[in-house]
Amino acid sequence: MSTRRSRRAPLGAALAVAALALAACGSGSGSGDSSAASGTPDASAEIVIGSTNEPTGLVRNVGGSSGVSQTMTRNVFEGLTSVDVDGQVIPTLAESWDVSEDGLSYTFHLQPDVTFHDGTPLTADDVVWSISEAIGPESKSARKSDLLVIQQATAVDDATVELDLSRPSQGLTFYLASVTIVKDGDTELTSDNGTGPYRFVEWVQGDHLTIEKYDGYWGEPAQNAGVTFRFFQDTTALNNALLTGDLDLVIAEDSPDQLVQFEDDPDFTITEGTSTTKQLWAFNDREAPFSDVRVRQALYKAIDRDAILSAVWDGYGQVVGSMVPPTDPWFVDQADVHGYDPEAAQALLDEAGVTDLEISVDYIPDDTTEAILALLTKNLAAVGVTLTPNPIDDATWYQKVYTDHDFETTLMGHVNPRDVLWYANPDFYWGYDNPQVQEWVAQADEASTEAEQVDLLKQVNETIGEEAASAWLYLDPQIRVARSDVTGFPVDQVTESFYVADIVRES
Amino acid sequence: MRAALLRIGALLISLVLASVVVFVVLRLLPGDAAGATLGVGTTTDQLDQLRSELGTDQPVVTQYVQWLGQIVRGDLGTSFVSRLPVADLITQKLPITVPLSLSAFVLAVLVSVPLGVIAAVHRRGPVGVAVSAVSQLGVAVPVFWVGVLLVLVLALQARWLPAGGFPRTGWDDPAAAVRSLVLPVVTVAIAMSAVMVRYVRSATLDVLDQDYLRTARSLGYGRWHALARHGLRNAAVPVVSILGIELATSLLGAVVIENVFALPGLGTLLLDSVTSRDLPVVQALVLGLTAIVLIMNALVDLGQRAIDPRLRTAEVTA
Repeated sequence: MSTRRSRRAPLGAALAVAALALAACGSGSGSGDSSAASGTPDASAEIVIGSTNEPTGLVRNVGGSSGVSQTMTRNVFEGLTSVDVDGQVIPTLAESWDVSEDGLSYTFHLQPDVTFHDGTPLTADDVVWSISEAIGPESKSARKSDLLVIQQATAVDDATVELDLSRPSQGLTFYLASVTIVKDGDTELTSDNGTGPYRFVEWVQGDHLTIEKYDGYWGEPAQNAGVTFRFFQDTTALNNALLTGDLDLVIAEDSPDQLVQFEDDPDFTITEGTSTTKQLWAFNDREAPFSDVRVRQALYKAIDRDAILSAVWDGYGQVVGSMVPPTDPWFVDQADVHGYDPEAAQALLDEAGVTDLEISVDYIPDDTTEAILALLTKNLAAVGVTLTPNPIDDATWYQKVYTDHDFETTLMGHVNPRDVLWYANPDFYWGYDNPQVQEWVAQADEASTEAEQVDLLKQVNETIGEEAASAWLYLDPQIRVARSDVTGFPVDQVTESFYVADIVRES
Repeated sequence: MRAALLRIGALLISLVLASVVVFVVLRLLPGDAAGATLGVGTTTDQLDQLRSELGTDQPVVTQYVQWLGQIVRGDLGTSFVSRLPVADLITQKLPITVPLSLSAFVLAVLVSVPLGVIAAVHRRGPVGVAVSAVSQLGVAVPVFWVGVLLVLVLALQARWLPAGGFPRTGWDDPAAAVRSLVLPVVTVAIAMSAVMVRYVRSATLDVLDQDYLRTARSLGYGRWHALARHGLRNAAVPVVSILGIELATSLLGAVVIENVFALPGLGTLLLDSVTSRDLPVVQALVLGLTAIVLIMNALVDLGQRAIDPRLRTAEVTA
């Protein structure tokens, strides 16, 4: 559960301009060693992937660094279940599971022949230990509250684990994907002993994280010999490394300006997929005037989201009308529910009796947010609302906005799939408090069928959209650039992990 | 001897004062490491739990005393965020930042001292004017811009040198390591030389106007000879103090340059740690840099005395 911020330094913009200027007059000779792809996957290839999303630490069961999930989950560590590249829950270390009639007991049958990277076999005790750690008193996992529905984990025999729940939970198998299984008793802070297709080699903070193929892997083996994630602060440096052949793939481009240098170059492939990153202008719904649903709706209607998306992403990405991306099971298209309509916005503000509204907005500055802010300010000025920007840094955001709720509005990107559920938590930073929504969410998790769960969450989705609980600006595209001899990487980013075992480089 | 002891005493007092300032200022910043580490989705209880594990829920004075105690025992503590030992994090980065700063400094001295003297001697000639103009340009242009241009031309276009990064194997492959440092070193050296040329030039100009040099000239020494014999030693006094400051700033300048060249050095570490409020790392780095600056100043002082005996006599009579 995390937000992810682009950490591009302000100088990035200047650099990008210069890079474009020179790239434009460049010969595009690409003299590099593109080694004339002959079409045979090279099983001995080491794939080097560039990313701006470095893990903050490797400690398991601690909070929301999406960096550690992105690099390690499914690659080095596995759960009983996984979320695959399409966002579906699939069996992983659990070959299958049975659910009792009342939905209160789950029996997981483990995959046979699974070994840890140190060679010892996986047993039910390891699973019980790992789950107990994730929900134990020491756990600072962001999924802990979701997993607390587990009352007891028992090893029935070496290959069977039973979980007893305090109430039925439709979300259980999804949440279990985030519980990575380690050896019984393993509390090493940077434990490297998982069951995945790769073993952990090293992490040099601020630079790279390397994993190598594990030959004893129980499942489909990795298609490459290993992967190194290289971490960058500056996206220009990241793209330069790709241009000069130091990288095989960039996981996420954060602006279309960077793409120009790759677009007409046969040495590179650009893919556009979907992400689950929603850009929000979030209100503090517990405070006036945002506690008035008409004011929120008015502000939402005052925004020309298509113009914002096109200014930021130049044709990529998608305007959404709620917290739910199309890849979540309970998606309903609501882009037009509060479409751009300044007159209606003005009317709603008048109705609410709000005049000369001045709103402060806390944001973490980078090129993207500055662009959003400029258009937002202009849109709102048209309906007589003044926006006061208040730039802050990450750590301040977490304290001021997330912990202390000391804000009026804020701009933030929310990364995770299936995170509409935050609107059922009145203590969450945006403070949306609708008992009906809370009840639906509770019922949805306890629903007896998945269809019932999906129906209830669709109602949640429609209600928060209608009530403009926040202003959802757009859904980020997932743009990756790869050397053209590199294939097999997931195009969409709808899970927390970036699964690398299928990536191949042709020789 | 007494002077040296006084110097060391002053150094220690400055360091303690600096440690207080560093510690207090960092704690005045809003935001805490617990929030930045745990991120969105964690509960207030989990945040409190982490704060108590990190000790950030203790009074500032208690935290300071504990930290100082650690430092005195030679323990730099553990990173709040990655939970790695701070000493390891820093020693990991030294093999990049130290060679970068030192080579840039040496290169800058080698370039700027002769250029500065030439610019002074030929101050009205085309050479002197050209050197002054170029150095002025060098001071005005931001250092990262120079870096970007070098990357564009020498790395992206000509493909002579890597655009950034450092070999994963570090110095195991010295040629690769050196290649990856060439552009950053040149970039920093250009910025440093631009400043130093101007100082060397004006120090030399001051000396050229002195009576003793005119006397020397009148005794039949050539311009260069007179300068070499009597002038440079005097000109060196102000220059040495600038060199000291420049060497210290070259470490600080690494923050910008390491970012441009994606080098995992101390600058990158500092930037990362400030953003995530990883206070033990920031404190260790800032205190370390402060110590280096203070020690450099002390050395500069001693160096100036060695060059100019008059400074020594001044000390005795004072």
